Amino acid sequence: MSKRSFLLFTLPALIVLGVFFVYPIVLTLQLSLTNSTGVGEADFTGWRNYERIISRDRYPAALWVTLKFTFIVVTFQTIAGLFLAALLHRLPAIRSFCRAALFTPAMMSFVVVGYVWQFIYSPFSGGLNAVLRGAGMDGLARGWLGDPETALYAIAIAHIWMFVGYTTAIFLAGYANIPNDIEEAGRLDGASSWQRFRHLEIPLLAPSFTINIMLSTIGTLKTFELPFIMTRGGPDGATRTLSLEIINQLFGNYRFGFASSLSIIMLIIVVAVAVAQNWYLRSRENVQ
Amino acid sequence: MTPMRQIRSILIHAFVLALVVTLLMPLLYMLTMSFRTATEIAAQPLGLPDRLAWENYTQAFTSMNYLRSVANSVGITVSVTMLTAMLGSMAAFPLARNSSRVARGLIMLVALGLATPNFVTITPIFVIFRELQLLDTYLGIILAFTALNLPLAIFFYVGFIAAIPKDLIEAAKLDHCSDWQIFWHVIRPLLGPATATLSLFVMLMVWNDFTYPLLLLTDKDKFTVTISVYRFVGNQNIQPDMLFPAAVLGSLPLLILFAIFQRRIVAGVTAGAVK
Repeated sequence: MSKRSFLLFTLPALIVLGVFFVYPIVLTLQLSLTNSTGVGEADFTGWRNYERIISRDRYPAALWVTLKFTFIVVTFQTIAGLFLAALLHRLPAIRSFCRAALFTPAMMSFVVVGYVWQFIYSPFSGGLNAVLRGAGMDGLARGWLGDPETALYAIAIAHIWMFVGYTTAIFLAGYANIPNDIEEAGRLDGASSWQRFRHLEIPLLAPSFTINIMLSTIGTLKTFELPFIMTRGGPDGATRTLSLEIINQLFGNYRFGFASSLSIIMLIIVVAVAVAQNWYLRSRENVQ
Repeated sequence: MTPMRQIRSILIHAFVLALVVTLLMPLLYMLTMSFRTATEIAAQPLGLPDRLAWENYTQAFTSMNYLRSVANSVGITVSVTMLTAMLGSMAAFPLARNSSRVARGLIMLVALGLATPNFVTITPIFVIFRELQLLDTYLGIILAFTALNLPLAIFFYVGFIAAIPKDLIEAAKLDHCSDWQIFWHVIRPLLGPATATLSLFVMLMVWNDFTYPLLLLTDKDKFTVTISVYRFVGNQNIQPDMLFPAAVLGSLPLLILFAIFQRRIVAGVTAGAVK
């Protein structure tokens, strides 16, 4: 292929990526070293934004919330998805119906899911407390999103509910790739359902683990929508994630420079976590 | 099967179905609540509607500017999907056939784009949009979404095109086809399945995205469905008789689509993720 057609084919994509992706990243780096407010001239302030991020409790706390949220979601979503897929794999009659049913919440937007769960959790007319009171467990009823102890877990449950069908579908696709004779051999050897699951299926599903864990980690590390809609980061910063902090600094305080520094830190964390996970999970695949 | 095992099997099926229905409770809750009045809900938080309160829906339908926002979402989603598929497959064609240093560099760039969260670029995109007067325009939001999805599209198509047999292209070259003719008449028709899968991905992402329309659109008449649900319900003092019908209306278009194409959507999105 000639140089000319190489350029002609790639040019349209390169222009769009250049203007709305590469240049923005360069601009983020540049803005992160200034005190820009989005209008007028900005002063070059060097590393001051970064020093501020490290020295105030507020920002490491947001990072901690983000990591904790990601850990909870990834762990429980993977376990629940694996459990559901293992069940459905054994029940071909209802498999595709259940897979589609579980997938339905993933078709909804964060706004709808966030609002519906916000109401489910609300203290007086919310569905969850009504169920608890109906079951005689009045003591457990509370404002789930208003309590710093429970708010992050409550949001994590809404998030897991939304995407567990996705995880299940990916594990089921992994199951479909397990050769029939391997399963058959396990069965003939008299392995119980649990033994097959533990010693055959889990190792053979390693690639599905990689995909599920990486997809949900990257998706959750940048989460902003559910905390923004359900709690605005409250109570008392208990659900204030890094992305939410970026949006707050940007459109609440118009601190464009500072928001950019937070974005750069976020980029470094996301890339570092993705590279580390990819390396670890792939090496795990090869061993088996 | 012995009767004992038969009973066991029925019980297991019933248990799993019950589990799945339990997981879908929030959806059924959303649907039943949308037909109840605020007074009913305050008096009795759980329960079926006394009568179907259709006025909840007429209220939400008009205040949300529903049809307009659906039209906006459809327009934006379709444009982004088509643009992403077109630009992505074009760029992927030489990248898949070429292993020069430039090509490898571009693929690295695309991989970086895949891992970059949109929060890293949102601040400068806002600044650039203001410079180019793209804030609050359809064109702006379409371009922003396209840039966000292009890395995925290019990555996806490169894998697909690399798997197309070289002989096909060589044969076309012998017939004196230009590079463009090869792309248009040989490659593009083979990309159908890839484009279908990719489009499902992009469509879902764009239709349900909250961040870009929230930050880049301010004119009520340009709101997407997601944003009109968000603005209509509001953050303070959520009213259930507004929230639930708006939530149902907001999810309805994609849920209808899902009901019709569910097999293909689940398979497509899963395959896309696995690729």
